[in-house]
Amino acid sequence: MVRFLVKRLFSATLTLFAVSVLTFLMFFALPRDPVSGMCPKNCNPERLERVRQELGLRDPLITQYAGYMKGIVTGRDLGSAQGGRCDAPCLGWSYVSNEAVFDTIARVLPVTLSIVIPAAVLWLLLGVGLGMVSALRRGTWLDRVAIGFSLTGASLQLYFVGAVLLLVFVYSLRLLPVPSYTPLLDDPVRWASGLVLAWVALAFLFSAIYARLSRAQMLETLSEDFVRTARAKGLAKPRVYGRHALRAAITPVVTVAGLDVGAALGGTVITETTFGLNGMGRTAVDAVRAGDLPTIMATVLIAAVFVVLANVLVDLLYAAIDPRVRLR
Amino acid sequence: MRRRAAAAAGGAIALVAALGACSENTGEGTTVDTDRKQTGVIATDPKDSQGPAAEVAGAQKGGTFTIIRETPISHLDPQRTYSFAGLMASPLFARYLTTWKDDGKGGLVLVGDLAETPGTNVNNDCKVWEFKVKDGVKFEDGTPITSKEIAYGIARSFDPDLTGGPTYVQEWLADTAQYDTRWDFKANKTSLPPGLSTPDPKTLRFEFAKPRCDLPFAVSLPTTAPLKPEQDTGVNLDARPFSSGPYKVAKNQVGVQLTLDRNPHWDPKTDPVRHQYPDQFVWTFGPTADAAVNRVIADNGADQSAISFNFVPASLVARVAQDAALKQRTILSPTPSANQLVINTQRVKDLKVRQALNYAIDRDGLIKALGGQTVAQPLTTLMPPATIGYKAYDAYPAGANGNVDKAKELLGGQTPELVLGVADNTTEQQMATQLKGNLERAGFKITVRNIPDDAKLDEIKKKDNPWDLYIGNWAADWPSGASILPVLYDGRSIKAEGNSNQSYFNDAAINAEMDRILALPPAQQGPEWGKLDERIMKEHAPVVPLFVDVAYAAHGSKAGGVFISSVFGYPSFVNAHVKP
Repeated sequence: MVRFLVKRLFSATLTLFAVSVLTFLMFFALPRDPVSGMCPKNCNPERLERVRQELGLRDPLITQYAGYMKGIVTGRDLGSAQGGRCDAPCLGWSYVSNEAVFDTIARVLPVTLSIVIPAAVLWLLLGVGLGMVSALRRGTWLDRVAIGFSLTGASLQLYFVGAVLLLVFVYSLRLLPVPSYTPLLDDPVRWASGLVLAWVALAFLFSAIYARLSRAQMLETLSEDFVRTARAKGLAKPRVYGRHALRAAITPVVTVAGLDVGAALGGTVITETTFGLNGMGRTAVDAVRAGDLPTIMATVLIAAVFVVLANVLVDLLYAAIDPRVRLR
Repeated sequence: MRRRAAAAAGGAIALVAALGACSENTGEGTTVDTDRKQTGVIATDPKDSQGPAAEVAGAQKGGTFTIIRETPISHLDPQRTYSFAGLMASPLFARYLTTWKDDGKGGLVLVGDLAETPGTNVNNDCKVWEFKVKDGVKFEDGTPITSKEIAYGIARSFDPDLTGGPTYVQEWLADTAQYDTRWDFKANKTSLPPGLSTPDPKTLRFEFAKPRCDLPFAVSLPTTAPLKPEQDTGVNLDARPFSSGPYKVAKNQVGVQLTLDRNPHWDPKTDPVRHQYPDQFVWTFGPTADAAVNRVIADNGADQSAISFNFVPASLVARVAQDAALKQRTILSPTPSANQLVINTQRVKDLKVRQALNYAIDRDGLIKALGGQTVAQPLTTLMPPATIGYKAYDAYPAGANGNVDKAKELLGGQTPELVLGVADNTTEQQMATQLKGNLERAGFKITVRNIPDDAKLDEIKKKDNPWDLYIGNWAADWPSGASILPVLYDGRSIKAEGNSNQSYFNDAAINAEMDRILALPPAQQGPEWGKLDERIMKEHAPVVPLFVDVAYAAHGSKAGGVFISSVFGYPSFVNAHVKP
């Protein structure tokens, strides 16, 4: 187990290193000059050049990259134009939002976490639940309803579902407030009521995929020998389905969930835009549109961290769920 | 000066700016008032600069006024404020040397804000200006504002760390665009830039190497907001500016919400334009223009006293415009943001071809394609109608839909092949389709070349750019011809890149005429700029004027007092109040 963890963390670190190098190089591959975004008005060429010098953009790439990575680990001095000392983990300074990028991330990450984690719980419960029921009641009206539901969810787009939910529950019935983010610890009720539509919209769309996936897996598992053996030995149906079949059927679902949740934590841009929430996704898109390269770098890195961590977690869960899997 | 691509989210032209007729919501429906003209003047009577501002009919104290905007305000530090949102938010917590008294009906008077008058032209040569600071003006901590703090505010704008703000005053004082190399703020914090002095706590004196007749206008920008040296937190002032206006920052959740509370030390008797009606102003950032307008239309709870700072997007225009009940809650007003088809005169040298381009354009069709009267209003002059001294004319009268025959006659059987460079955003793509159609029916052969949206401005500012035509937009910082014509058409300023003169027009006689007008007393310049405007178009046709942007804003049922600023073309909050 420890050996497995060390190996996975090592490969995760390598992946993140590769992502950081690629993202950093992307700064220089992009057709725009990072400085022009920092000094959008009244900046003549001479002034722009001075800003480039001050920011170290004339230094060799390796020096710049080393400085960036050093900032993440130990912090660094960015100079008075960029707020002075930037403590670790220093992700640089954004000239677009005029603050340390870490402060931006610290502000928007809780929004994305608050959207994705409850929504993921909801879509997994709903999707896997529907899939299981559908498999166990194959061919019945329940199965047809569940399949119809998942087909509908899979065919719709989030911006449409979101707009309908807003129109019905916020603007027409006025049952819910306009979506907004309130920190969970400040006011749990406002936190939930401000985000519930985003959870429902995401859960509706994602659960459809999980319902279909878990139904197919469950049907396949139910036809396997070990299930027939368990039933032949006289085990009760709930025990066979719940303890044996479900565990075997759910492993592919965990894999997909790991990737989905990891990717969603990197930003749910359509959800955030539809509901007017400022999370990682919108921050990343806004940064790309504005050419805010330090923020692009940070959002790409953090998204990569989530995906990599989610995959390590999935591997660990495999061993916990399926006794046939051993970690080496 | 700001030149921007005529583009905005959702296809609606939301980026409007500078000057222009302004309007308060009259509830008369969605008809743009096309007749209003700028009546802007510089106040000569000191009484005009005294407070309090006239009461707004029906306004009461109390309540929270909410402003919803998609993206955060880029800078709150007055010396760095230049975005439209910043320029509209700043007067709530910052005062300047001068400011505009805007009646919401097209009347605009430049008055003293912190200064007793809009300035004294000491030798009548525009080289030496003096401003006397009013008695009783105070910061949010109750300490008096003197000429020293105003001078300090101007001095810190020389700091190269504090980028983003207007640079007129700095460049004029230093007599060079490289002002931060001429005087080092960080090394001289206890002194003042060259040409700026404070003979006594009531007097601020500017001495320039060249005549700067537009100084009273330039000091109406936030560069001249005062600051106490001990309150200067450098780049961090953006998070918490120190107030001299009727409100002060109570809480700033950067990028999420900005809350302003009343400043008890602001004295209405010293302020000729601002009020202090709401208990609180709250700027909320995040919702898209669609979401924000939907919120104020829904008119629930706190949104009843809210306005969407982003204008009504194209997707909602029909719904909003056709709902009679919403007419009371919308503001529709032309702005001073002028759009042109810019002709690169280095490449299109034949005057007849440029004149034919002017005859060929179907302005009516173009405006309809962009969304109609809630988006744009036709323009045939270089300066928008709201400019002081504006003269209405049409040098190439072709009717609303263009005159193809006249254009063909001028071309004399030629088929000029021209390249039209357009940004790859929705608005310019729509415009390109229309313009290409217009010009080709008149005998031109047009090749459209896309330019990445974020690179377009930089690219067309390069002297050797490869396009014959491109779409340009200009929004001046004050309604004076001096902030438009010399900036856009003085050929002596053309350099390798970074050009505002994007038609690359250079004519010695026109340049000399500009010099002559600039040397006139400010009050006499207006009509001369109007005449020069017409002369440039008739004799040289360096652009095809197309349209001015129109502001179309929606607000909740309890949001009152908002009007579209005549100077910047965005909602002004100096009269804002919450209806009972």
